[in-house]
Amino acid sequence: MSASYLYPRWVRIWHWLNALLFAILIVSGGSLHFTGHPWLLDFATARPLHNITGLLLIISWVAFIIGNVMTNNDRHYRVQWRGFLGRLFTQGRYYAVGIFRNEPHPFHPSEAMKFNTLQQLSYLGVMYVLVPLLVISGAAFLLAVYLPDTIFGLGSIWVVAMLHLTVAYSLVLFVLVHLYIITTGDTVTTNLRAMLTGWHRDDQQETTK
Amino acid sequence: MLFLILLLMAAPLLAEPPAAATTNMTCLRCHGMKTLAYRHPSTGKIVDLFVEQVALSHSVHGKLACTECHDGDFAHYPHRAETQQRSLSCVKCHEQQDDATKRHYQFTTIDAEYAKSIHATSDAVEAAAFNCHSCHDPHRFHASQIGDSLATIIHNDNALCLTCHEQARLKHAWLPNRERHWETVRCLDCHTPVTDSKQPVSHHILSAADSNHDCVSCHSKNSQLLNRLYRYRAANDVASHGWLNTAIFNEAYVVGMSRSAVLDRLALVIIGLTLCVLLAHGIGRYRAQQRLLRKQQ
Ligand code: HEC
Ligand code: HEC
Ligand code: HEC
Ligand code: HEC
Ligand code: HEC
Ligand code: HEC
Ligand code: HEC
Repeated sequence: MSASYLYPRWVRIWHWLNALLFAILIVSGGSLHFTGHPWLLDFATARPLHNITGLLLIISWVAFIIGNVMTNNDRHYRVQWRGFLGRLFTQGRYYAVGIFRNEPHPFHPSEAMKFNTLQQLSYLGVMYVLVPLLVISGAAFLLAVYLPDTIFGLGSIWVVAMLHLTVAYSLVLFVLVHLYIITTGDTVTTNLRAMLTGWHRDDQQETTK
Repeated sequence: MLFLILLLMAAPLLAEPPAAATTNMTCLRCHGMKTLAYRHPSTGKIVDLFVEQVALSHSVHGKLACTECHDGDFAHYPHRAETQQRSLSCVKCHEQQDDATKRHYQFTTIDAEYAKSIHATSDAVEAAAFNCHSCHDPHRFHASQIGDSLATIIHNDNALCLTCHEQARLKHAWLPNRERHWETVRCLDCHTPVTDSKQPVSHHILSAADSNHDCVSCHSKNSQLLNRLYRYRAANDVASHGWLNTAIFNEAYVVGMSRSAVLDRLALVIIGLTLCVLLAHGIGRYRAQQRLLRKQQ
């Protein structure tokens, strides 16, 4: 049985706050987009909720960046190009095939690198591409009055809206997969507990070997 | 052949300058002066007698001679007192026209709606002499046409209300993005009933208490209030449903109403498929786990 301290307190607090913001944004955003459905929030309630939570997400994102710069947490986001494709393939093969044959995890999170290559790629995409796009298009929405009337010959609010919506849908997709991947640790709750306590336990390793 | 001859005979008539211009000039000699006005003997109010020729010629009545409406004996000055007393009414005059029933709006409907409106029913002193002319100057009025730019229509219609209701801006503090709303919806859209008379303008202006502040009557797929405004959209704009087309032609993106059906459907399908894959993956893992347990026993 081995254990490593992967998630310092600030990362865990940030992660759960961010998760809460995501949840509120998805519900309130869906309520704005699909207004009028009985299961959804009232339009007049959803709007300020979505705006305020959106602003908090900007702060949360900035905090994440600052946290990464101040600590050495950003090491996890540095792509190791050597053997990259090989590792990507191994990890992909594990989720597609190996996992059903009870093969051991090909990757063991450590304090040096807590993400497997697939995870790393998707988190890079989410935190450094999608969330910034989401936040920028959201802010453009809020400041729509100052936008030019058209961009590329299209109504500029339409461009902003479609970008915001596409990114939002992509993030919903990410959240779904993310929630599922949590359960693919050594046991169903291994990963969840790691994010709660900070400690990642590699317990199954001992039993299968 | 007969047709051709008739046409040739008609040609000189067509070429003749319209009679209206000449007779109008006799009136505009005086009424074209910006300063022509007098103080009404009983009310003491200044009566502006100026008629702007350019505005009149661009108005819905641009082709009419002054005397077609002012059919009394105005040719001589001083005008006869009894001619001046005769009051002209938009509705009465229009109901007498041959094509009265063929228009896309009916003056009788408008009249009935107006009669119920707050301006006609208000007890306020300022609203006492209110009538069609309070909002429509017959010498200037120009009705918006289908295909006109929505932004211009909205701007003109709102400017009319704001000439009297500038103070009302402050009473809409509850409305977020107020200035944006006033560029993209008409005062009329919220201040008239949701019921649809199939006319782009309803004249049934409601009291403040009865006016609409339910966001969802616009910000939803079946936007009821905006339907009327969007009646002004040219037919080819309305016909295009593709998301790119909608994006180009729809001047406003109204949260909750403007949706790209293609994007929404695509996203929901992808999300649905992903859920199915995850579910299948989970079942596969569960069965692998069971196999492992059986082996270990
Ligand atoms: C010589 C200048 C003059 C000419 C020409 C003239 N008007 Fe007038 N008009 C006036 C004046 C001044 C008044 C103000 C009332 C009065 O003094 O009778 C007036 C009043 C009016 C009014 C009534 C306004 C009101 O509500 O009291 C109408 C309508 C009118 N004119 C129409 C016409 C028409 C139509 C013509 C052309 C056929 C015409 N006028 C030609 C000077 C003129
Ligand atoms: C479509 C019919 C119509 C035509 C054409 C028309 N008028 Fe009028 N005019 C009216 C009506 C209706 C009123 C009464 C407005 C009111 O009560 O406020 C009026 C009012 C007036 C007045 C009184 C002042 C005012 O503005 O209320 C004058 C002066 C006048 N018209 C002059 C003219 C002249 C001059 C012409 C031609 C250049 C002309 N009108 C063409 C319908 C017409
Ligand atoms: C004395 C008669 C008369 C009065 C009063 C009058 N109009 Fe007209 N109006 C006409 C005539 C005649 C035409 C047709 C002009 C044409 O075909 O060029 C017309 C045309 C119009 C049109 C455009 C016609 C169409 O295609 O629908 C509108 C809108 C209109 N009038 C509104 C008004 C309004 C609003 C008022 C009152 C402020 C008013 N009119 C007062 C006689 C009148
Ligand atoms: C409170 C102001 C107000 C009053 C009073 C009013 N209207 Fe209007 N009316 C409007 C506005 C605003 C429009 C929209 C103008 C536009 O963009 O074409 C309009 C449009 C119209 C149109 C064009 C309709 C169309 O569908 O294009 C007609 C005709 C008309 N009004 C007639 C009347 C008549 C007749 C009366 C009197 C019974 C009257 N109006 C009273 C504000 C008013
Ligand atoms: C000629 C001036 C004038 C114009 C133009 C005008 N109004 Fe009014 N409006 C009044 C007056 C006068 C009253 C009654 C006084 C009051 O109740 O404040 C009134 C009352 C109202 C009220 C009711 C306010 C209340 O306290 O219940 C509403 C709503 C309203 N107007 C909307 C409009 C809209 C929308 C337009 C444009 C289509 C418009 N008005 C154009 C003068 C005008
Ligand atoms: C989004 C819908 C909406 C729009 C757009 C809108 N109003 Fe209103 N307006 C309302 C409602 C709802 C009320 C009643 C507010 C309340 O109960 O306090 C109101 C109140 C008013 C009043 C009464 C104010 C008072 O003194 O109590 C006037 C006048 C008025 N509006 C005029 C206008 C004018 C003019 C415009 C266009 C520039 C306009 N409104 C645009 C919804 C709207
Ligand atoms: C009469 C129809 C109408 C009503 C009622 C209405 N809105 Fe709007 N709203 C619009 C339109 C049209 C736009 C314009 C979008 C644009 O900028 O092109 C808009 C824009 C907005 C925007 C800005 C987003 C953007 O796209 O710029 C917000 C936020 C908003 N509305 C919130 C509300 C809220 C909250 C309410 C209820 C209190 C409300 N609206 C009531 C028609 C309406």
